[in-house]
This record gives sequence, structure tokens and C-alpha cells, in this order.
Amino acid sequence: MCKDYVYDKDIEQIAKEEQGEALKLQASTSTEVSHQQCSGPGLGEKYPTWETTKPELELLGHPRRRRIASSFTIGLRGLINLGNTCFMNCIVQALTHTPILRDFFLSDRHSCEMPSPELCLVCEMSSLFRELYSGNPSPHVPYKLLHLVWIHARHLAGYRQQDAHEFLIAALDVLHRHCKGDDVGKAANNPNHCNCIIDQIFTGGLHTDVTCQACHGVSTTIDPCWDISLDLPGSCTSFWPMSPGRESSVNGESHIPGITTLTDCLRRFTRPEHLGSSAKIKCGSCQSYQESTKQLTMNKLPVVACFHFKRFEHSAKQRRKITTYISFPLELDMTPFMASSKESRMNGQLQLPTSSGNDENKYSLFAVVNHQGTLESGHYTSFIRHHKDQWFKCDDAVITKASIKDVLDSEGYLLFYHKQVLEHESEKVKEMNTQAY
Amino acid sequence: MKMEEMSLSGLDNSKLEAIAQEIYADLVEDSCLGFCFEVHRAVKCGYFFLDDTDPDSMKDFEIVDQPGLDIFGQVFNQWKSKECVCPNCSRSIAASRFAPHLEKCLGMGRNSSRIANRRIANSNNMNKSESDQEDNDDINDNDWSYGSEKKAKKRKSDKLWYLPFQNPNSPRRSKSLKHKNGELSNSDPFKYNNSTGISYETLGPEELRSLLTTLIFLFQQCGVISEHTKKMCTRSLRCPQHTDEQRRTVRIYFLGPSAVLPEVESSLDNDSFDMTDSQALISRLQWDGSSDLSPSDSGSSKTSENQGWGLGTNSSESRKTKKKKSHLSLVGTASSLGSNKKKKPKPPAPPTPSIYDDIN
Repeated sequence: MCKDYVYDKDIEQIAKEEQGEALKLQASTSTEVSHQQCSGPGLGEKYPTWETTKPELELLGHPRRRRIASSFTIGLRGLINLGNTCFMNCIVQALTHTPILRDFFLSDRHSCEMPSPELCLVCEMSSLFRELYSGNPSPHVPYKLLHLVWIHARHLAGYRQQDAHEFLIAALDVLHRHCKGDDVGKAANNPNHCNCIIDQIFTGGLHTDVTCQACHGVSTTIDPCWDISLDLPGSCTSFWPMSPGRESSVNGESHIPGITTLTDCLRRFTRPEHLGSSAKIKCGSCQSYQESTKQLTMNKLPVVACFHFKRFEHSAKQRRKITTYISFPLELDMTPFMASSKESRMNGQLQLPTSSGNDENKYSLFAVVNHQGTLESGHYTSFIRHHKDQWFKCDDAVITKASIKDVLDSEGYLLFYHKQVLEHESEKVKEMNTQAY
Repeated sequence: MKMEEMSLSGLDNSKLEAIAQEIYADLVEDSCLGFCFEVHRAVKCGYFFLDDTDPDSMKDFEIVDQPGLDIFGQVFNQWKSKECVCPNCSRSIAASRFAPHLEKCLGMGRNSSRIANRRIANSNNMNKSESDQEDNDDINDNDWSYGSEKKAKKRKSDKLWYLPFQNPNSPRRSKSLKHKNGELSNSDPFKYNNSTGISYETLGPEELRSLLTTLIFLFQQCGVISEHTKKMCTRSLRCPQHTDEQRRTVRIYFLGPSAVLPEVESSLDNDSFDMTDSQALISRLQWDGSSDLSPSDSGSSKTSENQGWGLGTNSSESRKTKKKKSHLSLVGTASSLGSNKKKKPKPPAPPTPSIYDDIN
């Protein structure tokens, strides 16, 4: 007898089960929960620490074990340009570094229900994630992705330079259509409210109010949107006059007189716009054609917000690229642009977010797609955020480290922001959303 | 030690210290024991060293941040040799050229519809026979090749197409032709050293079919054989790249000295010689059996053309020969149709049935 302590698996199993039973009794009889057994309110379950089983030990006991550190290249990989496909490469880099999307695909949550899986774009995305997170230093050749996109989005097919934003929308659309197997339960009853991962992440609600000038009746529509396209100063559409100091520093953007910020663009986007006498709308309540005011705000914020600067101008007069530098922040609060903030907007003020305000509308920048060159010919590159606060420049097959300053000084064409706090949707909110759509 | 029986004031320092020590030991033990048991359990169950990592292999994945190198420590621009397999045609393509290749492979390019139409025309003529004809525009385009299911290897039909012009070592070519009009064998407008022309005794039906297609083309297309590719020009009869003289030479080569180049002015008439006619000709060619064909039925002029072809002209020759002759006479008919067209519309139909009457 060595007098050592012995751990017997079977006895422990019995002990665990008994403890679980005891806890259930305890939870139902008292509100006091013991410190060691952390069970949630209303739950009688115990969440034990995970201990490895023997087969797991064998798998994990590899001698050359590595733990991913923040200095690791894992998760980064170049993409070969297949012939003017830099626009596609940038969007792929942005999508594969979207945290919530990455979590979805790396935990293999897609179950394919397409009649032929080799034509499923979601399966190909899944494979793409595996390739890009493999740690392989040699760049990946995304030829299958190109082929599938050309098959499913015919308007994009063809060997020519294309627009990254257009590609993004088309790709999201095809992914959304192919996500049939992943419906997460409840919303399956409602055909209007798709619950696929793409919609969960990217779909926001654009709230449009049209106010009749005569009777002040407001008609509201809410449209789903995957991105927000912003007009820029210098375009043929008139821009909001630059506001004095204070309001532009809402989001911590460094306010330099003369520099337009993302917040400025958003303010312009959500301003009440007086529709002229040439665009009279028939008012539902007073049944007459009246001049009206239109205002756009955000009804529902998506988990990932994509902002698109309309740099490519195709007007009757000219076709050109607007290269005005727009300053954008690392952290963005969308509260002032919500539908609920309209009251204060009417008064001409921009509601400043309070420091103690809720975090649910706060976003962090994680990807920037840039375009260099002219409207006819140019090159796309992207900056992506990895390992929480490191930035990398992705130029097709070449990935290099970048500084935050590089990112924020870049021109900016597509900006990807990710919500900082993801909360569970309560059932009531879900119901409201389905009605709105 | 029964604490309750003693009063602290009565103790000396050493005893006090002993008590304090014991209390201290108890406290430490209490706080450590839980941890000790955890470690003991971890060691016993084998997962204590699970957190360990291998520092050497960790270094392989460190991000590199030096000018001229990417994060993996690789030099820029070394990826020119990357290749991939086209999902449509299963060929191996250089990665940086994949997009233009796929565009043509899927039939979406600038020229693709034109090429496709030609292909359809070809395949109508040749039925199942495979044709790899390429437009002159695409000669420089190495990526493009037709045939989605087929592997990229030279097929027999390629050789068939080039049969009269290439492959000087082909056994067929070593058989020289008997020319009544001797100069034809010597005149070699295409600069081939070996004997020109074709020995028809050894041609199979497929080869004849391809030949016929050639001939059909001569009615509608330029037909001049390019020096570089040894292929016939598929542009229109007014193709600016070649002269009428060249076109005439080609036709003489194929059709004999009496062949006439369809005149440009009457190209409209030529258009009326539409594909249905040629298809009728081809379909009738499908017959396998041979039957006697009297050369005289083809008309005297055609007989001389037959002779121009260099085939044995004696009607007493073997069946096989006659079979070939009948093909030729069809060809002769075709050419005569061409020449008829030149004069002014004499409907091509009448001569044709007469021949077929004999055949059938």
C-alpha cells in the first residue's frame, strides 16, 4: 500500500451524477448557489471543468505541440491573382477575417443541402477557411471559387477588372442562397425572415421615413440591406456642409478642418432630405400629392457593417474616381444614426454618445479594402486585422505587417466593422423583426 | 492541545510561537491542499504536461517583419509557376492565366461565340468527327482549346485536317500520284518538298469526309493555307490577308485545274449554296456500299477532272477504286456546282440526282 491517492474513473462518474442530482434539488429549494458549483439562474446543471479522456490524451499528446500565439502566422495566407482577380482576393481576405464568420466555418457549422455539393459556394467557403487557416505559407489558388462565382453570378463572369463592392454583394447573395441547410431552427417557419448565417451577420434594416409636408403623416418602410453606400464630397450630388469641430469628433476621429470623416458621411446619409416639387408623393393619409421629406436611419444594426464609399462616379457628364481622403475611426458608435435617435436629430443636434451608454451599437474596424489607380484600371489591396490588434496588408499573394497608422491613412473604399458586443436576441425582439420584414 | 484550558497570557514566547506556527501551517495547508490535489490528480490522470509546447516548432510560425519579405519570410513575386486544374476542361493551367482561360473555356469570351458557330458548322459537316479547327485570330492564344470533356492531346483528326499539307513522312505521301497533267505534282505552292497531293487508295471514309469538308469550305471561305500553321484560312472569300491568286491556287490543288475561284461578285450566289445542300451531299456520302459508276455520267468535263485528280481512270479498275471515284465524282460535281454558280444560277440540283441515281 503506497498510501497514495487514487482516482477511479467509475467512482468519479457516479459521484458526478449524484452531485448533479443534488444540485437540481438544491436549485429548486434555495436561491443560494454554492460558490464552487457555478450554475446559471434557473438551471440545475453543473458545469464541471473539462478533463481529458484517454483517447483525447493520445491525440493531444503530440510531442511537437504548438499553441497559437499572437505572433503566429496561422490565419494569414496569400491569394494568387488569377488574372485581374485582385478585387476577389480582397473580399475573400475580408470575409475570412470576419470573426463571427470565421467561428462559424471553423467549427464546421455548414451542412450542405445542395443537390450537388461541388457546386455549393458555402462548401467552397468552408474549404477556403480551412486553407487560409492551415498555416501553409505558400499562397492559395482560389480557382474553384472563381469558377463557382462565375457559374452562380453570371453578370460577374468574364475576364476583366471588376468592382470589389459588386463582387461582395454578389458573393453574399450566392452564399445566402446556398445556405439552405443551416437554418437555425425557429425562423424556419417564416419564409421572409431567413436565418442563415449570412443574414444573421450582414443583414441590417434600413428605416425610411417619408413625411408628408401637408399633414405630417409619416409612412415608414424597413428594407433589409447588406451594406451602406455613402456619397462623397466632390461628387455631383451635393454634400452636407462641413460642421464645426465638436460633432465630428464624436467617434474619436481626429478632426482636422477640411477633412471629411466617416461620421460626416453617415450624418449626411441620415439627414432629412427635402424632396423637391418635382418629386411629389401621394400621401396615404391626406390622399393628395404633396412635397415630402425623406429620412434614412438604421432600424436594425447588423453584426458586421460594411460601408462603401461611392468613389466611382458614372454621371452623364463624366466618369471618374473620387480620390478624396475620408478619415475613418477604429471604433465607431452607430447610436446617433439609429431610428431611435431621430428625435434629437430633428433638433439639429447630433446625439453624442454618453460614456456610460450601452455598448450594443459600438463597432470595431477589422478590414479595409483600398483601390489604387483610375476608374479604368487599378489594383485592389486590403488591410485586415488579426490577433486582435495586429494589422496586415494583403496584396494578392504577399502579406506584410502594417501599422494602424498605415490603415487609417489609407484612402478607404470598403470598410468592415464588427460589433463589439454580441447579445442574444430575446424572443420578443425576434418577433418584432419578423413583422418588420 | 486544549486551547480552552489555557490562557494566553500565561504562556511564554516559545509556546506562543509554536501555536502561531501551527495555526500558520494549518492555514497554508488548507490553501495549498486543494491545489496539491489538483496537481496530483493531473499527473495521475496524465494531463499535467498537456500545456507544454515545443519551442522549436513554435518558431516556424513566427511572423516576419522585414522589408522585402512577407510575413512568412518569403521573397515577393516568386509565385509565377503556380498551376491549377481547370474544373471545366481538366487541363492544367498557369494560375495567373486561369481567369482568361476560364472565360474562353466556358464560352464567354469575345471570340467564343464566333468560334462556337464555326464549330457547329464543322460538326454538322463531319458528324461525330472531331475537329480542332481554330480561327486565325486565336493562333496566338495558347490557352484556348476546344473540347470540354476531352484531354488535350493531338487527335487523329488533327492529322487528318493537315493531311494534304503536313507530315512529309506519312506513308501515304510516299505514294506518288499519277498525274496526267504532270505539272501539278511539281507545282507546290505551299513549298512542300515531298510529293504533293493525295493518294486516294488509302484514304478511309473519315479522311474523305474531312476532305469533303475542306471542299465545302472552299465555297465559302478563303481557304488559303497559312505558312505558319499549315491550316486553311477560315475568313471570308474577301479575306484581305490573302490574294485571289492564292485562293485560286488552293482550289486548283484540290479540285483540279478546271476549278474556278468563286468570284467575289457572285459571292451572293455562293451564299445561296447553303449548308442544307452541302449537308445533303454529306448525308448521301454515308453510304458504304460501292456501286459502279460510269464516269460518263458525270459528264465529260468531270471525267477529265477525275483524271486530273490522278486516280486511275479506267473503269475496269477494282471496286475499291470505283468507290473512291464515286466520291470524287461527287467532289467533281461539287466543283462544277461552284463553276456553275459562277456563270449564273443554274440550279445545282439537277446534276446531283443524276449521279445518285446511278449510285443507288
